[in-house]
Amino acid sequence: MIISVQKVSKHYRKRAGDEVVRAVDNVSFAVDRGEVLGLLGPNGAGKTTTIKMICGLIRPDSGTIIVNSIDNQRRRLQALRHISAVLEGNRNLYWRLTARENLEYFAGNRGRSRRSVRKRVDELLESFQLVDKAQEVVNNLSRGMQQKLAIAVALLAGTEIILLDEPTLGLDVETGYQVRELLREIAAEGHTIIISTHDMPVVQDLCHRTVIIDDGRVVADDRVSNLLKLFQTRAFDVKLAQPLAEDQLRRLQAKFPALTMAPEGTTLRVNLERDEEIYHLIELLRTFDARLQSLGRTTIDFEQVFRDIVNGRKQIPADGVGEARARVSI
Amino acid sequence: MSLFNVFSANIRKVAIEMIRYLPNTISLLVSYYAIFLAMFFGLKTIGDPATMEANIRFLIVGNAFWFLLILGISSMGFEISSEATRGTLEQLYMSPEGSWRILLARMIGTLLINVAIMTLMVMLSMVTAGQWLRVDLASLVLILLPTLIGMMGLGYLVAGLTLVYKQVQALLQILQFVFVGMAFVPLSRAPFLELAPVVKGIDLTRQLMVQGRPLADITVMDWTSLIASAGFYFTFGLIFFRFCERRAMARGLLAHY
Repeated sequence: MIISVQKVSKHYRKRAGDEVVRAVDNVSFAVDRGEVLGLLGPNGAGKTTTIKMICGLIRPDSGTIIVNSIDNQRRRLQALRHISAVLEGNRNLYWRLTARENLEYFAGNRGRSRRSVRKRVDELLESFQLVDKAQEVVNNLSRGMQQKLAIAVALLAGTEIILLDEPTLGLDVETGYQVRELLREIAAEGHTIIISTHDMPVVQDLCHRTVIIDDGRVVADDRVSNLLKLFQTRAFDVKLAQPLAEDQLRRLQAKFPALTMAPEGTTLRVNLERDEEIYHLIELLRTFDARLQSLGRTTIDFEQVFRDIVNGRKQIPADGVGEARARVSI
Repeated sequence: MSLFNVFSANIRKVAIEMIRYLPNTISLLVSYYAIFLAMFFGLKTIGDPATMEANIRFLIVGNAFWFLLILGISSMGFEISSEATRGTLEQLYMSPEGSWRILLARMIGTLLINVAIMTLMVMLSMVTAGQWLRVDLASLVLILLPTLIGMMGLGYLVAGLTLVYKQVQALLQILQFVFVGMAFVPLSRAPFLELAPVVKGIDLTRQLMVQGRPLADITVMDWTSLIASAGFYFTFGLIFFRFCERRAMARGLLAHY
């Protein structure tokens, strides 16, 4: 493992009064070398605080963060030799400097000369399609270009670990897609990446694993594929020939609380705790003389998984499906 | 070598931004010259004719140091607060070279460029006033070096306060008046100011340039006071800055404004 976050907590005292806000509470997770980890959670869940604590920008109240065997609180600067980050996207740049000057400046701040990075700067400008804008001040670039440049600055650091806080936030569909493709290429180069995002396609496309944080606590930590599988295998769509009567629907919902009826009144969606419960559902429908037109597993996307976990509609069992185990710390 | 690269990157950035923010730079120079003219004609109107020449030379040196103090020290506060607003402050803190070194490089860059600009402005002031200061470059460098080091200590102090409190504009404005005292009050009138930062260096520079005192006449006590003051204020400023930095990180204030 290259990053280990162990029992990390952070509380803030509000300016007025003694009220304490819990930003991160006893969070633990680890990231393996070359892994792409998605850090998810609603606004204010504690994702950004967690990322900034890994960067050493915020000091935790308790717990330890180890980066490549280095304690990032005791030897912050040494730990930073292994980390680069895009924390506030396009706001991480100097708007009066050109794209090239920004790249060279941040490389200089990492102790590298302009000459030593010139070739790499050219490569990055080329691969990020910013060659034409190299001499343009950042203020004149589009938001998408600025975002790409911010990512290029992080890449120029040449670190093994890259932390990205909301890399696609505020981008239009096309630019969001371009940035996602860039991130895919970066991931393919073997970097260890932590992405904090609300952009579920990014998670589904790029992340090997995801840690979901809600109210400062880790509520799920598993491979993306496992979470999808876990939810997908137990979610069914049942298409009926005719709508059910109201009391019949109520009886169904009493037995299966997660059951919902589509607005057209004939399609039931149900998430089952165990696969065999589908037989109980069919048996109950049979007693209603309801005719089934079709029965199938639903295709579920990661957004649905995320919402169900965060809203508490789904508890992840301690032993999930697939080869990896779901780790839950609620 | 890596430290040299940090310095060269930051000095280059300061120079580039000074050119890109040209209207800002020009307005600073215009206000420098306007303030000099106001004080110069004020002196001519109500000053004692017997000491006029010495007073004008005193004014030229004092005005240059006053602006140097404002540009070199207050600018650190403005830089930190604007970096926090822009979102670049955290990126500076992501550097494994350490923020205090980056800030030091910035201050050196800012001071070097400002010393060059002030030299031109002093020449312009001399031409305007028709009064010529004695310029012994080697002696000046020897006195200015520790003076500027002390100034950087003050820069760290202001930067540290800005890291924690961010909105320190009111303090920076008050500081401008404090700087007037530091730049214009001679040590012979207020000997206690010898304990204040930078004042000893300004006083010695004045003795060199206004009164024509040769470097050899500067006593060991003067040198000791100058170097001790520079060392103390630089060290104190740096320690204070590191303290504020830790406080800002503990409170998660680096990105806040």
